[in-house]
Amino acid sequence: MGYDLARMRDMSGKVAIVGVGDTDYHADYAAARVKDPNYHFLDSEGLAMKAFYRALEDSGLKKEDIDGLGVSGPVIHERMAELLGIQPKLNTSGSIWDTMSAAVNAIYSGQCETVALVYGLAQRSMGVRYGGAQIRGGPMSYYYYHPWGWSSQGAHWALMFKHHQLKYGSTEEQLGAVAVTIRNHATLNPNAVMHDRPMTLDDYMQSRYVCRPLHLFDYCLVNDGGVCIILRRADKAKDLPHAPVLVDGYGVTTGGKDNTQMQWLVEDMFYTYLSTSGKQAFDMAGMSPKDIDHLQPYDAATVHVPIYLEGFGFTKQGEGLEFCQDGRIGLGGELPVNTSGGMMSESYMMGWNHVVEAVRQLRHEAGARQVKDVETSMFCHCSMIGAYPFIFRRGA
Amino acid sequence: MAQKRPDRTLGGVHDTFWQYCNQGELRLQSCSRCNRTFWPPMPVCDTCGTFDLEWKPLSGRGKVVSFCTFERQYYDELPPPVDCIVVKLEEGPQFLSNPQGFTWKDISFELPVKLTFIDCEDAAGPFKLPVFERA
Repeated sequence: MGYDLARMRDMSGKVAIVGVGDTDYHADYAAARVKDPNYHFLDSEGLAMKAFYRALEDSGLKKEDIDGLGVSGPVIHERMAELLGIQPKLNTSGSIWDTMSAAVNAIYSGQCETVALVYGLAQRSMGVRYGGAQIRGGPMSYYYYHPWGWSSQGAHWALMFKHHQLKYGSTEEQLGAVAVTIRNHATLNPNAVMHDRPMTLDDYMQSRYVCRPLHLFDYCLVNDGGVCIILRRADKAKDLPHAPVLVDGYGVTTGGKDNTQMQWLVEDMFYTYLSTSGKQAFDMAGMSPKDIDHLQPYDAATVHVPIYLEGFGFTKQGEGLEFCQDGRIGLGGELPVNTSGGMMSESYMMGWNHVVEAVRQLRHEAGARQVKDVETSMFCHCSMIGAYPFIFRRGA
Repeated sequence: MAQKRPDRTLGGVHDTFWQYCNQGELRLQSCSRCNRTFWPPMPVCDTCGTFDLEWKPLSGRGKVVSFCTFERQYYDELPPPVDCIVVKLEEGPQFLSNPQGFTWKDISFELPVKLTFIDCEDAAGPFKLPVFERA
């Protein structure tokens, strides 16, 4: 399974993220918790629109400049184009990783010049649940094992961590360090849902189990929000208000043989998906793990963080959780991770907020949580559907 | 007395799997050409593409490679705690199931287990559920 490295290298750095926008995660969540009757709650479409107009303003572009559209969440692309009043030449829908790679390809090939990727999901208001008998779609592992009482996306991560424990002797306390580090980062981000909720390792250990061995604080949040990311030809991104953030590399390895029986999740702990897709991304970017200053792993649960570190080669297999101790993944550490609070403590935006934070860090506008002299950042999703890493670099 | 369980995925090849279970047999599809055994059911061999898959009886022996316990309720029929195990079957596939006669407190890495069936019932009627006890 080869790929044309020369062509991939040529695409590296040719497309830039020029605008980002997100919604008021902290205020929206706080108002929802107390059911504030005077608060203007937005639905999924409204959240997506709010994020779009913020990203557009951030980019310094006009709406007429947008000639491609990617959408995610319950909002469909023709409705989104209608709401935005644009006629895009690219329509793509799906996850942030699917739409972002489609946008990079379309811009690089000349199909369009400026693509807005828009996401909105009022999942808390809609009462979205991620487990139980009503789940009948998605990857087969989400629903096929109902008769054995096995359900929920979160249960996958419990099985993965239990195997890590059995194989390497990892402890819950070690995993707690990941949760505490990410929460500490959220306290430095005024827009994080958990901005005002500091957490100690003791708080973590005292929290109830949801799916043993994982505690409540091992899991990501469920909250409402929207995100928009605007990408543009890098050669047309130089005169805009912010430093462009270049998409230098990406890779994909989707779930393959024996995915549903969970061989890759349990015994492989996604090492094959991560190492294979990571090599593509590093090769395209002309980089290796030592070139990465900042990591934004999709933290559906704490255990993802050590798994990515191992899979991408930041550490040896079995040593990812040890690396997460003693401040190495915190601000000022060797490899700061999820500096805005990730999905566990900032906002569950299915990876979209990870990209926004990578951009803010690379623009050097992350305020109290700024990583010093950061020049590169890596984002990745990995789950039963595969692994999708992206490498970003601060442009001139 | 049959335990109430959440609904199975039924229809087509899925029915065949449960029909064998109801006879007290654990059979999974296999491709004799590629020496591959599949779970969950497949319409074709993932390697050679043949539709001619054979329902092969399994030994019922395996080892526990992971487990988890639901402490929060996900199904009306199953109040927590609900123990689940991943059994690596002797023939290769990893099979998600429940421990029978032991709990998470008794599990160790690669604990040997053997197949048994328990009487269950879902919206489609009574059925036998493959679970595992200590070997």
